[in-house]
Amino acid sequence: MTHYIFFSGKGGVGKTSMACTHAVRYADEGKRTLIVTTDPASNLSDTFEQAIGHQVTPIAGVPNLWAMEIDPDKATQEYVDRAMAPIRAAFPPQMVQVMEEQMNGPCTAEVAAFDRFTDFLDLPADNGEAFDVVIFDTAPTGHTIRLLELPSEWSQSIDAATAGSGQTCLGPAAAIQDAKHKYERALAAMRQSAQTAFIFVLHPEAISIKETRRAIAELSKLGIQNYRLIINGIIPPEGAQNALFAARAEMQAHYLTQIEADLPYPKQPMSLLAGEIKGIQRLRQVGKIFFDGTSAAKTFEAEDIQPRAAMFVTPLDDVRARLQPNGHRRTLFFAGKGGVGKTVASCITAVWLARQGHKTLLLTTDPAAHLGDVLDSPVGDEIAPVAGQANLWAVKIDPKAAAETYKERILEDARRRGRPEKAIEVMEEELNSPCTEEMAAFDKFIEYASQEGWQAVVFDTAPTGHTLRLLELPVDWSKQLDVKIFASVDATAADDVAKQRFGKVIEMMGDPEQSTFAFVMYPEATPILEAWRAAQELGTVGIHPGLVVTNMVIPPEQTNTPFTRSRRAMQEKYLVEIAERFRVPLAQIPLLPQEIKGLAMLAELGEQIYQSDISARDLAAETMTAR
Amino acid sequence: MSNFVPLFDAIPALPSSVDVEFFDPPMCCPTGICGPTIDQALLDLNEMVMALQAQGVSVARYQMTSHPNAFLGNAEVMKFVHELQMAALPITVVRGKVIKTQVYPSLEEVKTHLSGASA
Repeated sequence: MTHYIFFSGKGGVGKTSMACTHAVRYADEGKRTLIVTTDPASNLSDTFEQAIGHQVTPIAGVPNLWAMEIDPDKATQEYVDRAMAPIRAAFPPQMVQVMEEQMNGPCTAEVAAFDRFTDFLDLPADNGEAFDVVIFDTAPTGHTIRLLELPSEWSQSIDAATAGSGQTCLGPAAAIQDAKHKYERALAAMRQSAQTAFIFVLHPEAISIKETRRAIAELSKLGIQNYRLIINGIIPPEGAQNALFAARAEMQAHYLTQIEADLPYPKQPMSLLAGEIKGIQRLRQVGKIFFDGTSAAKTFEAEDIQPRAAMFVTPLDDVRARLQPNGHRRTLFFAGKGGVGKTVASCITAVWLARQGHKTLLLTTDPAAHLGDVLDSPVGDEIAPVAGQANLWAVKIDPKAAAETYKERILEDARRRGRPEKAIEVMEEELNSPCTEEMAAFDKFIEYASQEGWQAVVFDTAPTGHTLRLLELPVDWSKQLDVKIFASVDATAADDVAKQRFGKVIEMMGDPEQSTFAFVMYPEATPILEAWRAAQELGTVGIHPGLVVTNMVIPPEQTNTPFTRSRRAMQEKYLVEIAERFRVPLAQIPLLPQEIKGLAMLAELGEQIYQSDISARDLAAETMTAR
Repeated sequence: MSNFVPLFDAIPALPSSVDVEFFDPPMCCPTGICGPTIDQALLDLNEMVMALQAQGVSVARYQMTSHPNAFLGNAEVMKFVHELQMAALPITVVRGKVIKTQVYPSLEEVKTHLSGASA
C-alpha cells in the first residue's frame, strides 16, 4: 500500500524543507519515494539543487527518490487556452473577453489543481512498481483547505446537479460523473489514518497556532483524522547566546506551552538553524537532527554567505515620500500573506502619520483582539478616536460579519417576498461563496475611506488583483455578470452608482500620488515569491508596489554570535533580492525581543523605522536615550 | 496526467431532447449568486426550474464558459448572440425554438409555449 503524507503550513514556516527532509530519509531507508509540489511558490528545485519540472524526475545522489514540480499557473493556463480555442473562433469579442476574465477566477484554478492532485493519489506504478511513499508539499494552508474541501462540496453539487437544474461550476453533470468516483476515492484515501498523514509545520507563534487549529478543524469536518505537528524554528542553545534571541526563546517557551494545551496531536520540535536547508547533504544533516535527535550545532553546516548590507538600504526620504500626504490624501494599503506582519506594519505607520500631524484613519480586517492588543486600545465597528494618540482614529471591519449581515438581509428579504423554504436553502448555500467576504470587506472599506476630512487612510488588507478586475468590469457587463457588489437588494439603478464609486476608488488606487501599496514580507525565499506573485496580479489592473516593508530583520548590532551572524547574512542575501526584484523603497521592521504592543512601542518603532524631520528626530533620540 | 476533468462539454451538441433550455448570462463564481447582491430574477428562475421539473418537464441551463457547445449547437441562439452580444442573454428555448431573449420568461409564458409546441 502506498502511504501519503501531506505537509501543510503557511509560506515561510519551513514546509518544503521538512517535506524534503522526510523524503530523503524515507528514500535512504529503501522506500520508493515521490515528492510532489503544487505550490506556486515552491522551491523544491532550490532545495534539491537540481532542475525538476513537470515530470517525475530522479533526484541525483538519492536512490529511490523522485520529485515533481507542477506549475499550477502554467497548467491552468494550458487548460484555459485549450478550452477557449473554440470559443474565440465562434463568439463575438466582447463575450470572449468576459469569458476569459471568468476563467481567471479561482474556480478554474481549483478545478485544475484538484484534478492534478487526485491524479497523484491514483498514480499508476512506475515500471510495474508502485511508490511506497508519496509526499505532497501542498499549497499554503488556506488554499490547501479549499482544495481539500472541494471533494465533499463537489460530490454534493454533482448530486444536486443530477437532481436539480443541471448546472454546476464544472460543466454539465453528465460530464463529471466519471470524475466524481475519482474524487470520492481520493477523499476515502485521505480519511484512512493507516494510509495518510497530515503534517502541519508551524512556528511557536500566536498566529501560526491559530492557523493550525483552524486548518485542522476544517479538515476534521471532512472526516480526516491523522494529524501530526512539527514545531519549527525553535531557538537552539547556541542561538540563545545572543540576548535578543534569548528573549525570543522565552517568548517561544510560552507558546510551546500553549501548543501543548491547544493542539493535542503527536508533535515533534525542530530547531532554528544557522542557515538555509539546501542540498542533499544538508537535508541528511537535518534528518539526523529531526529523526535522530543529534544537536544542530554539531550536525548542521550553514552556507557561508558574505554580508552585503550596503546593497539594500533606502534613503528614508524616499520611504517617507511614499507614506506622507502630499497635497492629496494618502491612502496606504498593506498587502501580504496572513501572519507576515501587515497589522503591525499598518499600526506603526498609522501612529507615525498621526504623530507627524496628519489626521489619520486606520482600518483593519484583523480580528478585534489582535489589533486591540497591538494598539493597546479597543477598536470597534464604528470609527472612534484612539485614546492616547492625537490625530488617530480606528475602525474594524470584520469580513465574516459583513458577509453574514449581508447574507441575513438577503435571506430575510427572500422570506418577506414569500419565497419557498427550499429556495431559501439553495440561496443560503450559494451565498457562502469565497468572493462574498473579500468584496463585503472592500465595500466597507470604500464606505469609510470615501468620507471627507482624512489626510491619511491606512488599510491593513489590500484587495487582490482578481477582486479588482471583477470590480473594474464596465457597468453594462457587470449587470450581465451578476457581480453586484454593493449592498442593496433591489439592484438595477443602484448598480450604476456603485460601479462609479468603485471606478473612482480603483482609479485612486492606481495613482501613486494618492495611493501606496506596501508589500509586507519576511526576508526569506517563499514569502518573497508569494508577495511577488500578488504584486504581479495587481499589476494587471495597473497597480504597482510603492513600498516594501520587511519584517523580522535581525539588527546589524545583534550579529555578535556566529549563529546570528550567519542568519543575518542569509537575510541580507534576501534583502538584496527584494531590492532588485521590487525596485521600490524598502523599510525594515527589526526583529524584536518581545511582541509589539501598545502605543508607546508603536511610536518608538515608527521613529526608528521612518524617523521624521531633523528636530523630531533629535527629540526621539533624547526619548530613546532617556529610556 | 493530462486527463483533466472536462470543464466544457466536449461532445458537439446534438439536437436537444430537453424541453426547456435557458442560455444564461455569465455569472460570478460557481452559481451566479456570488454576493453581496442577489438578482431577484435569478431566484425566480430557480423556482421556475423547480416548478417545471416537478411537473415532469426536462430543463437545462447553460453558461457560455461551461457549455459553449450548447450555444454553438443552436443556430438561432448564436444568431442572437452575434447580433446583440451580451445583451441577448438570457435566451430561453422551448423544444429547440427561441421563445424569449434578454430577460427570463414567466412560468406562464413557458407553459403556454410548452402546450403550444406540443400541440
